[in-house]
Amino acid sequence: MKIIKILILTFFIGSLSFLISCKNEDPTPENIPELITKVILKFTPTGGGTAVTVTATDPDGEGSQDLQIDGPINLSKGTTYTLTIELLNGLYNPGADGYDVGKEVLAEGDEHQLFFSWTSTFSSPTGSGNIGSAPGVVNYQDEDINGLPIGLTTSWTTGADAESGKTFRVLLKHQPDIKSNTTTSLDGESDLDISFSSLNVN
Amino acid sequence: MQLCCKLKKSLFFLSFFTLALGVASGQGNCTLNLNGQVLDEFGKGLPGATIFIKEMEIGRVSDVNGKFLFENLCAGKYTLEIKFLGYESYENKFKLDKSEELFIPLTPAEEVLNEIIISDHAVNVGKANNFSTLTSQEFEERKGKSLGEALQGITGVNSIQTGPAIFKPVIHGVHSQRILILNNGIRQEGQQWGAEHAPEIDPFIATNLVVIKDAGALKYGTDALGGVIIVTPSELPTNQKLGGQFHLIGNSNGRGGIVSGLLEGGVKNLNGWGWRLQGTGKKFGDSHAADYNLSNTGYEELNFSTALGYHKERKGIEVFYSHFNTTIGILRGSATSSTEDLANAIEREPPQYTEDFTYSIESPRQEVKHDLIKLNGHVRSGKNLFNLQYGLQINNRKEFDVRRGALEEIPALGYILYTQTLDADWQITKSDKHSRNLGVNGMWQDNNKIDGTQTLPFIPNFTNYSAGLFWIEKISVNKWDWDLGARYDFKLYNVAGYDYRNQLYKSQLSFHNISGTIGSTYKINQNSSITSNIGSTWRPPNVAELYSLGTHQSAAAIEYGLLLDESTNQVLDIDAVNFKTEQALKWVNTYRLQKGKWNGELSGYINYIFNYTYLKPRGVTESTRGVFPYFRYTQTDASFLGTDLSLHYSLNRSFSINTKISLLKATDETNNDYLIFIPSNRYELAVRYEKNQPGNWLNLYAEARVKYVAEQYRAPRVVPIQDIIDAKEQGIDLFIDDNRNFDFVAAPSGYFLGSFSTGITKPVKNSRVDFRFSVENLFNASYREYTNRMRYYSDDLGRNIALALKYSF
Repeated sequence: MKIIKILILTFFIGSLSFLISCKNEDPTPENIPELITKVILKFTPTGGGTAVTVTATDPDGEGSQDLQIDGPINLSKGTTYTLTIELLNGLYNPGADGYDVGKEVLAEGDEHQLFFSWTSTFSSPTGSGNIGSAPGVVNYQDEDINGLPIGLTTSWTTGADAESGKTFRVLLKHQPDIKSNTTTSLDGESDLDISFSSLNVN
Repeated sequence: MQLCCKLKKSLFFLSFFTLALGVASGQGNCTLNLNGQVLDEFGKGLPGATIFIKEMEIGRVSDVNGKFLFENLCAGKYTLEIKFLGYESYENKFKLDKSEELFIPLTPAEEVLNEIIISDHAVNVGKANNFSTLTSQEFEERKGKSLGEALQGITGVNSIQTGPAIFKPVIHGVHSQRILILNNGIRQEGQQWGAEHAPEIDPFIATNLVVIKDAGALKYGTDALGGVIIVTPSELPTNQKLGGQFHLIGNSNGRGGIVSGLLEGGVKNLNGWGWRLQGTGKKFGDSHAADYNLSNTGYEELNFSTALGYHKERKGIEVFYSHFNTTIGILRGSATSSTEDLANAIEREPPQYTEDFTYSIESPRQEVKHDLIKLNGHVRSGKNLFNLQYGLQINNRKEFDVRRGALEEIPALGYILYTQTLDADWQITKSDKHSRNLGVNGMWQDNNKIDGTQTLPFIPNFTNYSAGLFWIEKISVNKWDWDLGARYDFKLYNVAGYDYRNQLYKSQLSFHNISGTIGSTYKINQNSSITSNIGSTWRPPNVAELYSLGTHQSAAAIEYGLLLDESTNQVLDIDAVNFKTEQALKWVNTYRLQKGKWNGELSGYINYIFNYTYLKPRGVTESTRGVFPYFRYTQTDASFLGTDLSLHYSLNRSFSINTKISLLKATDETNNDYLIFIPSNRYELAVRYEKNQPGNWLNLYAEARVKYVAEQYRAPRVVPIQDIIDAKEQGIDLFIDDNRNFDFVAAPSGYFLGSFSTGITKPVKNSRVDFRFSVENLFNASYREYTNRMRYYSDDLGRNIALALKYSF
């Protein structure tokens, strides 16, 4: 019976340590630098005039709500625009490190490239874009350290005819170690892929 | 936190110190030794036979000369039982009043005997359980494989696979938190919720793999709705002789090698003490499919364990420590971050980023460490046996993804899980026909994310307390062996995590319920028996099922936990959703036959799981990375109906035929639909040649095997990615109104695999060397396995030639 006593004692001391819970502090929040919650396309006419701005906002990241786009892209006929793309992370305050994701993409230009496709008719570039297996031409206005295009700044000239309800798609690919002058939109992983479904030319 | 944890630690040590002291101060006037040698029909020693003293439930394995030793026995009457594959088992009663030496010749058997299990104090398979084991021979031929892959040798056990190195065991169609793995008597606790999270166990520690196919082996927990996998090391030696084993295995596919070693012995002048040291190292480069390299599929592993124990018939104490450490590369071409990437990846063959062979492992990859410390002791007093066991597990998992810049060096997912378990049980042998087992299990867990991943945590931090009480009766009446059990469990969660807006949420949840099982084995005659077992068990949910948020490695689909609101994604209180704990009713029947040239087992089972929690497609969402289908953990009623057959037929003393068949049908009963990733039907046929004594050598064998895996016809519908994207562009959500299960691609077609293996043993003085040569996927077939998550991206493994050498002394 001595043995049983020892066992009981052991068990009680053992269970006592279970009851002492280590008080947990709240987990520390993470910075989420890879998230892009807001994308701003800014078409600035090279000859002067008001810029056309369209914003796509993701209200909940990976949540179930859809992307919200604040209106059509209304361009003028026969006009040349410089398109600049801003990529923002709304989990940071404006001005804070990490808010401007575009800056990081630019800094790692040799691993990133933006691709475009459209159903409207531009007089330059012609064609329907460089997304997919038969890449067309895009007028890139920026380049990485290897002289390859990035695409945060591009140039577009609208055609002479009015159009409405055309789509304009922007795709950002992360191509670590593989970006070259032969890589296409099918290589690497997507960091951004948005189709603007309403492009009008008046 | 630190202070109270320290206090807690010291209390644990104190408790075991008490136990150790108590054990050491016990009485010890039993000093008789029983020496012996097991002989074959030619009078030569038989190595590897199991010798068992029934009354004391202690066993030995004969050494290379067939010798064995039991020390410090008390005078009395004992029953000695000896079993060895291919020989009639021996059983004899004898009286021990002085130290003795016995020579026991065994008679060769026409039929192959079932492997027996040495039931140590920690692990106990009841007579009325439906179980299957990997025989030591089958296990030996699978040495070097991961636990999940080795277990595939048991009918009814398959795996959910992620490439060549991650095998997650599946018993009768269910896996993850629905099965329980007992590693050396301790519940294995890791991040079981992920389909790509394999068990962190080095199979080289084990001498035996047993799978209990019944629901609720109630002694170990309530949550094993599918079954229990038992990984058992052999008992520590108590004689002073130094023994050991060294394995050296080379593989052509992956150009990989495995080194594993084990040393064990007793302690001089400290009778009853034994120790063991064991370690394994693995290094593999990229594996190869039939036609191309699988880039970034290399893996490495470095594990070790050590044990020290004191073992006498009336008392024993043991301390065990093991460390598991692995780095596993995931196919580079499977890294996708949008559905369009996934569509591209499915189209490509060979996969994107396919490069030349390399040993280096880049992202995506997993780095997993698992530490286990176990202390256990037992005391026998008359008809009572008391066991006490404490375990501490530290599971550290990091998953690295392809990320921008410096983030590549930071894990995208990282968790550390601490688990402490305390188990106590009391076995009462009322008579040789009736025994009772009462016990309690306690568990404390603390899960913390590794800070600095710079991602939203997939699952929240939590602490969890659980406790269970069980009661098992074992009764034998005439030809019947009965096994009855009941169990009560309680589980409490404290959860703290971050939602989609990176806002903190906290909740507290508790669950409790009862489980029960009843089983019986009826001995029809000397050669056959039938076992039937029915169990009703329940399972508290895993936090992943409640709170998950995010996308898994290599899966372009978003997963939401059950407690996330459908439209706002906010975390809800559990009372706000209609949550019910999962409840399984599993009925398994096995017929065993061992007659003449036939030896086989046939089981049939039905597992009906109420409130089965699974990922159901709920809709399509759009983020800045494009269109994604999203899945939410949802509850339904599911059934798993199947049959396992394994049959061995000896043509003569040299040739035998072995067949294994497993059939399974899994149905979502509520929605009249099929579930995804359910193993398809498979059939295996092997022809084996054996010669026990070719010249001065031993145990020559050669085996040719063919395996046919049928296409999974019971798979959910196929919805191609392009259809999802196109519909979304038209403003149509394909899943919002039709949320039947779906898959992006059709189930791959069925396939045949051929394999061949041969081996021989060379006895050298007091030691032996085993040679083994094998070829898997003999014809270098290109195929894809439905349950391999990499089937979307690449073919499965091509031919592998392996050469293994084992030296034991």
